[in-house]
Amino acid sequence: MNWIGEVLRRLHFRLRGSRFDRDLAEEMRLHVDLRTADRVSGGMSVEEADAAARQQFGNTTLVHESSREAWGWTFMDRLRQDLQYATRSLLSQPGFTATAVLSLVLGIGANTAIFSIVNAVMLRSLPVEDPQALVQVKLGAGGDGELNTPLWEQIRDHQTAFSGVLAYSQERFNLADAGEVRPAQGLYVSGDFFRVLGVPAAVGRTFTPADDQWGGGPDGLVAVVSHRFWQSHMKGDPEAIGKRVRLNRQSFAVVGVTPAWFTGLDIERAYDVAIPIGSHAVLHTELQRAEHTFYWWLRILGRIAPGSTVALAEEKMRAIAPQLFRAALPPGRDARERAEQAKTSFVLTPAGLGFSQTRIQYRSALFALMSIAGVVLLIACANIANLLSARGAARQRELSVRLAIGASRIRVVRQLMTESLLIAAIGATGGLAVAVWGSRTLLTLLSSHQTPIDISTALDWRVLAFTTAAAVFTAILFGLVPSVRSTRLGLNTVLKENQRALQGGRRFLSTKLLVGGQIALSMLLLVAAGLFAGTLRNLLTSDPGFDRRNITLMNVDLPQNTTAEQRLETFRQILNTVRSVPGVVSAAHSVLTPISPQGWAEPSKPEGFIAKSPRDTVLFLNSVSAGYFRTMRTPILMGREFDDRETPTSARVMLINESAARAFFGSENPIGKTIAFDRRRAKGERDVYQVIGVVKDTKYNRLNEQQRRIGYFSSEHELAPALSLRYAILSDLTPESLIASLRSTVSTVNRDAALEFRSLDAQVKESLLQPRLVAVLSTVFGGLALLLAMVGLYGSTMYSVTQRRGEIGVRMAMGAQRGSVIWLMMRDVITVLVIGMAAGLAASLALGRLVASMLFGLRFNDPEPLVLAVAILVLCATVAAFLPAAKAARLDPMTALREE
Amino acid sequence: MAATTRRDEIPPGTLYMLILRVLGRHGEMHGYEIANSIQQVSEDVLQVEEGSLYPALQRMLLKGWVTANWGVTAGNRRARYYKLTTLGRKQLHSEVEQYQRVSLAIQRVLQATGGDLG
Repeated sequence: MNWIGEVLRRLHFRLRGSRFDRDLAEEMRLHVDLRTADRVSGGMSVEEADAAARQQFGNTTLVHESSREAWGWTFMDRLRQDLQYATRSLLSQPGFTATAVLSLVLGIGANTAIFSIVNAVMLRSLPVEDPQALVQVKLGAGGDGELNTPLWEQIRDHQTAFSGVLAYSQERFNLADAGEVRPAQGLYVSGDFFRVLGVPAAVGRTFTPADDQWGGGPDGLVAVVSHRFWQSHMKGDPEAIGKRVRLNRQSFAVVGVTPAWFTGLDIERAYDVAIPIGSHAVLHTELQRAEHTFYWWLRILGRIAPGSTVALAEEKMRAIAPQLFRAALPPGRDARERAEQAKTSFVLTPAGLGFSQTRIQYRSALFALMSIAGVVLLIACANIANLLSARGAARQRELSVRLAIGASRIRVVRQLMTESLLIAAIGATGGLAVAVWGSRTLLTLLSSHQTPIDISTALDWRVLAFTTAAAVFTAILFGLVPSVRSTRLGLNTVLKENQRALQGGRRFLSTKLLVGGQIALSMLLLVAAGLFAGTLRNLLTSDPGFDRRNITLMNVDLPQNTTAEQRLETFRQILNTVRSVPGVVSAAHSVLTPISPQGWAEPSKPEGFIAKSPRDTVLFLNSVSAGYFRTMRTPILMGREFDDRETPTSARVMLINESAARAFFGSENPIGKTIAFDRRRAKGERDVYQVIGVVKDTKYNRLNEQQRRIGYFSSEHELAPALSLRYAILSDLTPESLIASLRSTVSTVNRDAALEFRSLDAQVKESLLQPRLVAVLSTVFGGLALLLAMVGLYGSTMYSVTQRRGEIGVRMAMGAQRGSVIWLMMRDVITVLVIGMAAGLAASLALGRLVASMLFGLRFNDPEPLVLAVAILVLCATVAAFLPAAKAARLDPMTALREE
Repeated sequence: MAATTRRDEIPPGTLYMLILRVLGRHGEMHGYEIANSIQQVSEDVLQVEEGSLYPALQRMLLKGWVTANWGVTAGNRRARYYKLTTLGRKQLHSEVEQYQRVSLAIQRVLQATGGDLG
């Protein structure tokens, strides 16, 4: 490697630099002396000989210089020179520099912030061994990602497609035995989970297949905890191994801690505690082993063996599929289900990126925001290009003189580009800082109580590469054109002072183009902001069918070592005591609360209804206590709601919403009709309910969903009451005092109940995270774009005022009124504004379609946001242009003319 | 003019080769000796602007073709003596080879069209 030796020699030279000059001088002196001596011995006089020797030797200074240059770092030296020059020139114009740098800091910062989230959820691989070799085993194309326990066991025991398989599931565990819930993010993992992933234990050991047995392995109930949990809950104690941790009122022995870099397979939910899948039997005694056939909860991943391929593995899995299905899947209930099953098989999808809710949920939002941030950066670039152009014009004489005395054009362009790159570099560094802060803030905004988002957006090479690329790209974008243009003009044109008007005209044109472009882009962003803000407003003001104000939700979770009767009784008692708390207007409980991610749907058989397809009979369900609709303030449209008349032994009745009533019974009176379900009752009775009331339509999972058909059962008829119920409490008290008295009241009824509180309002608002985020950020970005565009407009108008001082002076001297001078300046601006807005409008209409799916209650071509954007732009542009125009009108004609 | 020896400028790029060649034949030499040697061997046809030897020597030092050591001349003065390295020897071979290839080719071209020059 010759160049390494060269670099070493260069470095060595640097270290002894001062001796070089002396040595070389001595060497050259010797040469001349010897040559002189030679000539003298040939018969010349000493003077003649010396002169001849010197002549023959050549220019010593030049020789010295070029010898030195051989060792120099010419490129570096020039760069240093350029940097010094650029720094000096930037410092000499602090106003320009500050504007340019600030625009870039914001532009690059916004882009990097969003990119670092995109990077974390969409680009970065899991930090496990060879993540590319991991695939998820799913059922059917696009089918469910979650499989049941028997199928997992079949795959584990019979597959030959992979070098290793693992299964896992998530659950939120409760660390507290009673009282308010202390949540811990939990994982159920297969015995081979850590080994297949290649995650070693940092302390202690990870699981072995022996740990993962139904009901517990040889060491009893065991747990592996994350580094974070170990630090926060066990003080990072190396002796933590063997200590016990209580999860859902069961005690687990901690056997190991995973390294800090492993946080689980779900990007935004860093895990706290992992326990073997077999422990499910202990934590969920309510679920019989036989029922696991119907319980789809495990994600299954395989590792493709080295040398094998996804296609090969899929083929192998498909070959054993029928055999596995026979052993593990519930037999089809009818011909159609059996046919469906016969068609189903395994599908493998890449899983190296891990699983991300954000990736699915905020995909469109992230792309929309990324595009918006990109447009903001473009506007910032246009601004800087404009400023640089104006400055290039001011430096025209300097540049042409430099070109005239022989600087090469490339050299001058390089110097100007160094300046642009320096601006970009400072902007990018600042932008990176903004991004680190911005992406954290953004994630805090996205994170909610129910779906905490816990993504690490630590800078990695991808983010740094992105920022660097953004900086270089912007520098080229805003720097290259002005610097090439300002060196292109021939010497003659520039050195002749009076060419200004001619060349100024061309420059004005490109400035106008840039400003027009900025206006068009900000128009686009303002329209987008208007659309998204309008969507959020519509969502917030839409009628969900219930009143979310003043309602506190309380989740009550009972220990599983209770019988169904005990639970029914406890839930009833709690409801009665809660109703007696002073300040409580009304209270009820339900299995589900509205606008939550949970759902419950079943096919139904309404009396006299002929379904076109099985899908038409699906009814979304809930089971509620008496007084539920009174508490939620959902109007009863016909009949009555549940009250004391419902008891465990009373006739089975139900309520439906108006959509269900209309769909199933049309114009007939739904009251008294019956709806049957396929559920299995004791003694083989048919599960039939009589409709006793119709309630107003309410939203079920989301505010922007298509209206669903909903049916309500009475909680009195619930045969197997769940371990937990949700109470809705309507009260005038402040949430704090209400929660305090609820907590003490419930503990008098049952000490073991685990409680969780939140307000219905907060729950609804959390469901609006994505629209809220998009609305807020697009408004912020829209404002930023507007600000940048107005700075550009102001700057360019100011510039044209300076350039046309002479003309204005003449006009005023000839008697032009102030108003006409202002009009003169504004006329140009208005043209640019109108053309820019027209282009922006066209772009908004063309691109609006892309965000149509993100809108609610308005369409992308609704006039309201368009008119609003036009109004804001006209107003701001008028102000931005009027200030310099008014300044022009205050010009003293004499001064202006004298300068000319 | 024609009476005196005509001195020709060294063709560009061949200075390195000449220095390498001279050093290769004589072992250690200082700058003045190298310059003299080039002129003598070429029977004074090739004229080096002697100063240009020194930047060339520095570049060769940098490339690692030669090494330099201070020694004493016959006249008892300090001088820097240059010596070929293995790398320099390799470089000499490849440069000579390339030069011969090219000059042979040029010769052939000249011979083919030779008659016209008269």
